[in-house]
Amino acid sequence: MTTLIPDFPARPVPGPIPPWPFPTGVSGRIPDGPATLRCDLPGRRLAAVRLVLDAGAGREPAGQDGVATLTAHALLEGTEPGGGTALTSAFERLGASLYATADLTSLRIALDAPTSRLGDALRLLSEVVRRPALDDADVQRLVRERLEEIAQEDADPGTRAMRELRARLFPAGSRPARPTGGSPETVKKLTGEQVRAFYSAVAPAEGTAVITGDLSGLDAEAMLAEAFGGWRAAGAPLAAPDTAEPTPGPRLVIVDRPGSVQTYLSFGHGVPPRSHPDWPLLSVACHVLGGGLASRLNALLREEKGYTYGMRAGLLRMRHCGVFVAQGSVHTEVTADAVNDALSVLRGMLDGVTEEECRASVSALADRAPADYETARSVAAEFADAASAGLGPDYPRRYLEELRAATAEEVTRAYAEHVSQDALTVIAVGDAAQIRGPLEELGHTEITVVEG
Amino acid sequence: MRASTGRERFVAEQPLHEHTLGNGLRVVVCEDHVVPLAAVNIWYAVGSRHEQTGVDGKSRTGLAHLFEHLMFQGSANVAEGEHAALMESAGATFNASTSFERTNYYETVPVSHLPLALWLEADRMGTLPAALTQANLDNQRDVVKNERRQRYDNQPYGTAFERLCRLTFPPGHPYAHTPIGSMEDLDATTIEDCVEFFRTWYAPGNAVLSVVGDVDPEAVIEMAERYFGCIPPGPPAPPARPGDLEPLTEVRLEEVDEEVPSPAYFAMLPLPSDGGPEIEAAELAVEILGGGTGSRLYDRMVRRDQIATEVWTGVTRMVDGPSLALVEAVGPDPARIAEVLDEELAAFAEHGPTEDETARATAQAERGLLERTETVTGLANALSGNATQFGDPARTFTAAERAAAVTAEEIRDAARRWLAPGARTALSYGGAR
Repeated sequence: MTTLIPDFPARPVPGPIPPWPFPTGVSGRIPDGPATLRCDLPGRRLAAVRLVLDAGAGREPAGQDGVATLTAHALLEGTEPGGGTALTSAFERLGASLYATADLTSLRIALDAPTSRLGDALRLLSEVVRRPALDDADVQRLVRERLEEIAQEDADPGTRAMRELRARLFPAGSRPARPTGGSPETVKKLTGEQVRAFYSAVAPAEGTAVITGDLSGLDAEAMLAEAFGGWRAAGAPLAAPDTAEPTPGPRLVIVDRPGSVQTYLSFGHGVPPRSHPDWPLLSVACHVLGGGLASRLNALLREEKGYTYGMRAGLLRMRHCGVFVAQGSVHTEVTADAVNDALSVLRGMLDGVTEEECRASVSALADRAPADYETARSVAAEFADAASAGLGPDYPRRYLEELRAATAEEVTRAYAEHVSQDALTVIAVGDAAQIRGPLEELGHTEITVVEG
Repeated sequence: MRASTGRERFVAEQPLHEHTLGNGLRVVVCEDHVVPLAAVNIWYAVGSRHEQTGVDGKSRTGLAHLFEHLMFQGSANVAEGEHAALMESAGATFNASTSFERTNYYETVPVSHLPLALWLEADRMGTLPAALTQANLDNQRDVVKNERRQRYDNQPYGTAFERLCRLTFPPGHPYAHTPIGSMEDLDATTIEDCVEFFRTWYAPGNAVLSVVGDVDPEAVIEMAERYFGCIPPGPPAPPARPGDLEPLTEVRLEEVDEEVPSPAYFAMLPLPSDGGPEIEAAELAVEILGGGTGSRLYDRMVRRDQIATEVWTGVTRMVDGPSLALVEAVGPDPARIAEVLDEELAAFAEHGPTEDETARATAQAERGLLERTETVTGLANALSGNATQFGDPARTFTAAERAAAVTAEEIRDAARRWLAPGARTALSYGGAR
């Protein structure tokens, strides 16, 4: 019954992978406006503009958790009260789109537009950032939408696990320990006045405007200057960000979801920020652990045992620190076995990453860069993220070079140094009645159970 | 290459090179030298609509997708896990997906690894059963069951699409079940089922291979001959069961008793099949109705009446059955959402779109084409799709023109016929709360 093909050719041996450097960004500054970063990407007809403002949730006034996120949403409602539909329509007519979000570090505004309509789209964006309505009635509606969004986020086991991981990992009460977009208690009290006050305190001069795409025939710097020149903060500066560091475990927290058919598992630990020389080494370690189907966690938990559809490991980027996270969903009835196996795999890394694993993971991370950064949007997002973390426009290229220089020995050393196996924080979102007993038998550490 | 005749278009047609091997495999190549990559994409014209659904006594829903997983478990010359290891260690992005009408496999590799990628695809196209074992089947069955739990059963509203298909189509209809299949059928699937499925559907003549990237088209066609040419042709694919559906004449509503964060209303409306002019008008109508935060439903339900906090619509195009429009709205009173939906459908059917709405929807269609084709991965998939389903990969590039050719009257007529009030299937979540 075996199918074999007589003349099937031998497996081809690939030649060397062609080199590909991360595109070069050109820095500039708009007089009386944000810094700029331009990157010409020939052939990319969908251009991207990313405005990164130093006004993330970490700088929100006390008691106003979520005001940065709400401000981002309110910016999309236009320059007139109730003007959201008209604003969206104006961008759509150009084949363009506008988004805005906030994370702990930055308020981010994203414009995508065909290069042929970029000028018109930037003029619209200029109106939005200089004269947003941030109207009371719009903000009140957005508060209700945000409350709904929080309920939806909490219903998703992965998002709920991440919220719990941050709450446990960072010192109680610190800003990084609390949800970036606020909690129902803080969000429901937010007002249009608070949103306007927050936005008026945003200092454009502390921000960066990134523009990428096929910029041939366009004076991109002049377009940015016209859009953002002379745009100033009107209010008092925002407070300095809360930069509380992650704290060591061990911890094991069950977020109780009665009847859940799977358990979402998350294994976390604080690590240094991206500015630290070990960051590329830790990235390689994460890939060895949970970067793809061939990674250690997936080889065991998915391909051998069938416990999960897939596990992944990675690093959360925050400006002042990073967080190592390995995570995935497993079938409820195998939860404790899966935790035990995952902990063994995490600890097993201390015995050493092999040269072959290191080489494969470096290649997986560095050689996929041309695909990762094929669009203007992805290049712009990477530059914007580097700007947001204060890393400079050469960071993405430097990071790829440092990845390529990683050795197995160095990867093992960095992982052992920064991810202490005795101090992991484990979150399990699942049915406590079914998983608590078996997890207790593992004897990892004392178990805390909270409501889902 | 930037087209500049008449109204400027964002997307220019790129020259294609086509070739058919002696065993029936169709090959499409497109040069794109922006990045040193090659995107390989194979569409097999088999999806969940070809599965047995109990009509002849046997039900194997989920088999097309489970089989897709087995394609990564090795073949005659590729060991278990080797496909993933080889691709990952070359920085390739690779995956596969199964939908109603097709299964696709793809890898975007550094151009140096194109021969290896083609060889890997050829080996599994030619010899998959050689590596099929009970252990692999059992393991991937568990993985797929966990995929089902993760993506559908353990997600709020996760089974909505599956429920709506079951409501819209009669039992046993090829589109009445979704690709993930049922736990019972997954459990019942045997090695023999998998081998038979492979022999029936995975012949070269039932597939299209597209390669897009930093390549020489002639060299790619030679490589295709070298690696795929020796695969025997296999039998022609059997005719598929018809996918026709009688028009809905009422609202068929299911009240879902499931723990969800908020009450919500989901609706499905069958649309014309892909391939003719009518789907173009119908999709623009759905876009105007509910596409994005500038749409009629969003403006009415979220901004003005504030009966919903979120509204979304989308269209899944089908070729052998009805395309499907989906409407989702989250809000405390699903019955009120249903009433307002009917009001908006009635107003749209009566008056049709404004000139501005038509222009916006057309611009969005053009933007959509640009996004689908701007990466080598996306373009290769679009080429395979159009070649498989319409025999014409270059149809990829006419999407914007096809949308722009639709008039406001045609959109209104499509809305009258396909988006009439009171003719849909629907789910109501937690309305009684």
